[in-house]
Amino acid sequence: MLSELLQGIETGGLLIIQDSCSYSGRDLLRSFIAAALNREEEVHVLCFDVSEDELTDGLKPPATQRLHVHNAYPDPLGWTDHPAFAVQQFRLEDLTDLVKQASQPKPATLVIDSLSWVLRHAAPPAVCRTLQQLRKGGAVRAVVALLHADMHQRGTVGSVCHLASSLVAVAPGPKGNEAVAKITKRSKSGKVAQDEETFCITEDLTVAVLSRPSSLPEAKPNGSEEEQADPTANLTFNLRLSESELEAKQKLTLPFVFSKEKKTALLHPGPGSGRILYEPDANDDYDQEDPDDDLDV
Amino acid sequence: MCNNIDVIISNMAAPVSGMGEAPAERLPINSTSFQKKTRSKLVSIPGTRPSVQNGQLLVSTGVTSLDYLLGGGLAVGTVLLIEEDRYDSYSRMILKYFLAEGVVCRHELFVATAQDNPDDILQELPAPILDDVAVPKAVEQPRLTGEPQDSLDAMKIAWRYQHLPKVQSALASSSRFGHYYDVSKTMEAEIRQAAKCHRFCLPDHVTPSSTAHRLESYSALLKSLQEVIHREGFDLAAPMSKSRNILRVGLHSLGSALWGDDLCCHDKPRHRHALTTFLYGLRALLRSSLSVAVVTLPSHLIQDRALMGSITRLCDNAIALESFKGSERETNPLYKDYHGLLYVRQVPHLNCLASQLPDHKDLAFKLKRKQFSIERLHLPPDLSETVSRVSRGELASACGPSASGTKNLDF
Repeated sequence: MLSELLQGIETGGLLIIQDSCSYSGRDLLRSFIAAALNREEEVHVLCFDVSEDELTDGLKPPATQRLHVHNAYPDPLGWTDHPAFAVQQFRLEDLTDLVKQASQPKPATLVIDSLSWVLRHAAPPAVCRTLQQLRKGGAVRAVVALLHADMHQRGTVGSVCHLASSLVAVAPGPKGNEAVAKITKRSKSGKVAQDEETFCITEDLTVAVLSRPSSLPEAKPNGSEEEQADPTANLTFNLRLSESELEAKQKLTLPFVFSKEKKTALLHPGPGSGRILYEPDANDDYDQEDPDDDLDV
Repeated sequence: MCNNIDVIISNMAAPVSGMGEAPAERLPINSTSFQKKTRSKLVSIPGTRPSVQNGQLLVSTGVTSLDYLLGGGLAVGTVLLIEEDRYDSYSRMILKYFLAEGVVCRHELFVATAQDNPDDILQELPAPILDDVAVPKAVEQPRLTGEPQDSLDAMKIAWRYQHLPKVQSALASSSRFGHYYDVSKTMEAEIRQAAKCHRFCLPDHVTPSSTAHRLESYSALLKSLQEVIHREGFDLAAPMSKSRNILRVGLHSLGSALWGDDLCCHDKPRHRHALTTFLYGLRALLRSSLSVAVVTLPSHLIQDRALMGSITRLCDNAIALESFKGSERETNPLYKDYHGLLYVRQVPHLNCLASQLPDHKDLAFKLKRKQFSIERLHLPPDLSETVSRVSRGELASACGPSASGTKNLDF
């Protein structure tokens, strides 16, 4: 599932990479940036945690034309007169202006490194509201953010991750350069898919998925639709009708078929037909798959 | 062996004049000449019935098994609190059932969300199953003769039922209490638009300002609800002139960070009393009007359990959902048939001394296509080694010359 996420996030999606001090998720974030650039998307990066050079290290020149870095690392709180980007500018209007003035008409992907910086200096409800409005508005196609889970209270991490459409929680893996990612993906229809994969990141920022220890079954809260199977297929006898057979069938006169006059005569003196009024009681909580209510499978 | 598939008789026959009319109009119910003599002055509102326990007017939640747990249904004027599961799938489903039941019973709806559009929820309402028997439409076959297709020739065998409508598109069946819904289909637009719906979306009403000392979102919601109740005549104090109706209020994900409340974000929230004050005002508003409310709350994010307890006390009915998705319980064989656990935290006692709590405390729910079923969780039979029971494998090989079989045969 990690490779699917790398290939593209759906429009209006929010992907949060949750890491801790035992394993940094920044490499994974950079591989997401590299994958987005290779897909010829415009990428805007808000850079708080590390310097711009460290973040863009390894990204190659033809792709970096589509990369716009808003460097908040030197002055994140706006203490000098002209900060490139400050935390106070993390609002819907400022971010929309920022994205629109730099990029082409097609919407861009916004990458935030990291969201923890913003959460420490702005109120979490305001940050959640801005993230939700960014997803709904048209200026930004998708948002990828890095969140250091051990820097905040559990409620804050929970509230922000509740908004996310995809959540990747990374932890150190069994061997040295490997890591384990627990991925949770929520689709718009309410289905939740989870997966756990081991991966490692190579020098040129590609992710190599090494193994899949377990893949949990998906729950379908909205139920699956029944397919209309053709009952006349795959039989040892022929149930279909040819054209001549169809004609013969339609010409067949049925018993109890009256003439039109007799039908209308029988139909019309029938006003006020009986109505069946029924109030469902406890027996109506009826399960068609288990009519006797005795299956324990 | 007929050309067309004739229509199977539907349970409730709408009158002939009902065919072809817009479903939004109220059709006169063509009953028999029997009129029940009632001495009481109870207002009869479609979709409600009096409780057998304490005479309160009850409304169905849309889920019949939940109605049974809450003592027959939701009493008019009360609040149902649903503590959301981790990914908000099943609590959202119950909210949709509640609103869909309102559409089918022709109640009015009031939906409030923080940032999403309320129409998103309204467009996902499940389709009601209007009859228990499937009603397929007449299949058009190519005709050999050049007859015009009038209604008399549409049925060849069941022509006596010619004048009955084919599909119950007009919802005259609102005299039932509790309907069933098909989750895989969404409600058709014309049925949904027949119901009057009031929407509240937070960005339209409150402009967020970071310097606000008090939280404005909840008071804006309460004011909007009060205004709707007063304007549409749901107040009990209003003169009983025309037929009364019930207002169903659905509040999605109250208390989450999108409402501006930091209840879920901080361990010691700053706006500690905002939600509790709102719930107090909501209950007061509902008691004096003909409305029912369902509130969902992401309680798994609230760290302060004492606050969660006071929120539960302020709502009348309270249930909590815990879904197995993503937790370690998913692989537990005990839970493999179910989608999650359901806890009934509180059932109110209105005008009586004791409330009717359900007998079984271990309840599990399962969302099937046509039903959201809530069942008692019971342990499977104990098949361990210590139980003196002959397993089938041993019985089968007892007749054979195998080594394990001979030990059972003891002559």
